Amino acid sequence: MTIVSLNFLAFIAIVSLIYFIMPKKIKWIVLLLASYVYYFISSKELTGYLIITTISIYLVARGLEKVDIKQKIECEGKERQLKKQLKNKAKKKKKLLILFAVLVNVGILVFLKYCNFLSENINNLLNLVKINYELPFRTIILPLGISYYTLQAISYVVDVYRGKCKAEKNIFKVALFLSFFPQMLEGPIGRFEELSHQLCKPHEFEYNRVKFGIQLMLWGFFKKMVIADRAGLYVNEVFNNYSQYSGIIIVVAVILYTIQIYADFSGCIDIVRGTSQIFGINLAENFKRPFFSKNIQEFWRRWHITLGAWLREYIFYPISFSKACMNLTVKSKKIFKGYIGNLIPAAFSLFFVWFVNGIWHGASWKYIFYGLYYYILTMIGMLFEPVFKIIINKLKINVNSFSYRLWQMIRTTIIVLGGMLIFRASRLKVAWEIFKSIFTFENIGKLFNGDLFRIGITSGDFIIVVIGVVIMFVVSLLQEKGINIREKISRQNVIFRWILYYGIIFTIIIFGIYGPGYDASSFIYGQF
Amino acid sequence: MEELLEVLKKVKPGVDFENNSNLIDEEILDPFDIVSIVAAINEEFDIQITAKDIVPENFNSIDKMYALVEKLEEE
Repeated sequence: MTIVSLNFLAFIAIVSLIYFIMPKKIKWIVLLLASYVYYFISSKELTGYLIITTISIYLVARGLEKVDIKQKIECEGKERQLKKQLKNKAKKKKKLLILFAVLVNVGILVFLKYCNFLSENINNLLNLVKINYELPFRTIILPLGISYYTLQAISYVVDVYRGKCKAEKNIFKVALFLSFFPQMLEGPIGRFEELSHQLCKPHEFEYNRVKFGIQLMLWGFFKKMVIADRAGLYVNEVFNNYSQYSGIIIVVAVILYTIQIYADFSGCIDIVRGTSQIFGINLAENFKRPFFSKNIQEFWRRWHITLGAWLREYIFYPISFSKACMNLTVKSKKIFKGYIGNLIPAAFSLFFVWFVNGIWHGASWKYIFYGLYYYILTMIGMLFEPVFKIIINKLKINVNSFSYRLWQMIRTTIIVLGGMLIFRASRLKVAWEIFKSIFTFENIGKLFNGDLFRIGITSGDFIIVVIGVVIMFVVSLLQEKGINIREKISRQNVIFRWILYYGIIFTIIIFGIYGPGYDASSFIYGQF
Repeated sequence: MEELLEVLKKVKPGVDFENNSNLIDEEILDPFDIVSIVAAINEEFDIQITAKDIVPENFNSIDKMYALVEKLEEE
């Protein structure tokens, strides 16, 4: 049951009805049951993996808490030296527990998602050293949202370890945190201390909140069905038959793919956040107008925000503050001094961040390269930052001027387009072939002679995509200026409001792209 | 406090550490600055700030950072 389907809308209607009429005490149980029904319909017997993850992190979190309590009792009235010894002993125990939770959960993910990728590479290696043995391949069927809920599971136990949140005593509340149905498909990746109390608190029906939730869902449907799926028709044709196309056709395909993935992913998140808002649950924002970013670092603070935050909290900081990295910091500062001295430890930690970012997206070298592409460009940017500053000062460029800001945004977008090309190509080698084929300028005339409108979509489709993108841009611009559009709309008179609502609904119904069974095509990020 | 201010100014010159109490919330310090500041503080005060101490509340102002240093020195 994809979230862009009539079945899903009917499911929300039934669940919300039951949720609002049930007594306060059991409202969260309604959400838990609905989530498990939804999950079981999507993943059948693979639901077992979600249950294993839930039990493992529940037990580990409780274990961590017990170690803490025991240590506090033992430390009472003891001397400082003895206290330190007891603390170190408790720390070791806690580290073992965390290691167990990470091994179990990352182990399941690796076993299910990466086993064929590992087998393929080990077999290639064995072939290279002429060992006649081949690891078998297995059919990969992934439980719904495993890449997302595994990250949530790890964040929960690590936060309990760090003392940032308390261990939950009720296993069913942990189960709800991991399985809350709107966010199972594409996140956003939630944190226990921000999400759990909202999930378990009873929320009564509130007209304005429900209205805002439905509006956000409509906006998501518009982005997904009218813009993303339409742009996807052209993109699929070009990328699936890349050897037949070159030059401007490819450039347009990459631009349209970037529009598609943004409208698709942010559209899905809008539907997810809108659905949650109906139940009174505010999920974390995952997008903040990323194409207004002035550099790649900022882009990744605005694009898939919850993944970036997760990588910062659970990869970047732990590696940066590990003994090995701290020693590296001290040594590099002694050897290089100044700017480069600070850069080396950052380069070390960032490598792991981008590697994990890449491989999290999928079991393929192209995803690893996708991560490393951003790593290399980030490092080049950081390395030459002092040089850029000197150039800017010498040329007396006003960095706050509109033209310079525009240049920064265009530069960031071009880099992102390069990343999207790698992301969309079927393999790394194909990405390189497609990239090379861009550099033929003989077919620039195809922009104007109508050939463009014979590739998957018509001129009418192109116009709809362009109008859709202009609407998205205007909305983003207003949001960037701090204007709350939904509140503004709610202050307009009733006739204008309903014309607007019906306008959006009919636009989605008439201009939406439908797959088999009147369901929209699946979400790009749902496959991760 | 003076010692800490000196360390901070060395790592990130040009930031008004004395008066700003929203260094993280206003994104004046980014994750790379935090790593450099932690490395410098650890070395200067001979303490061990770890990932679990990295919360905005501990780095939003010089006072908060000083409180963290004092807490870890006591431990």
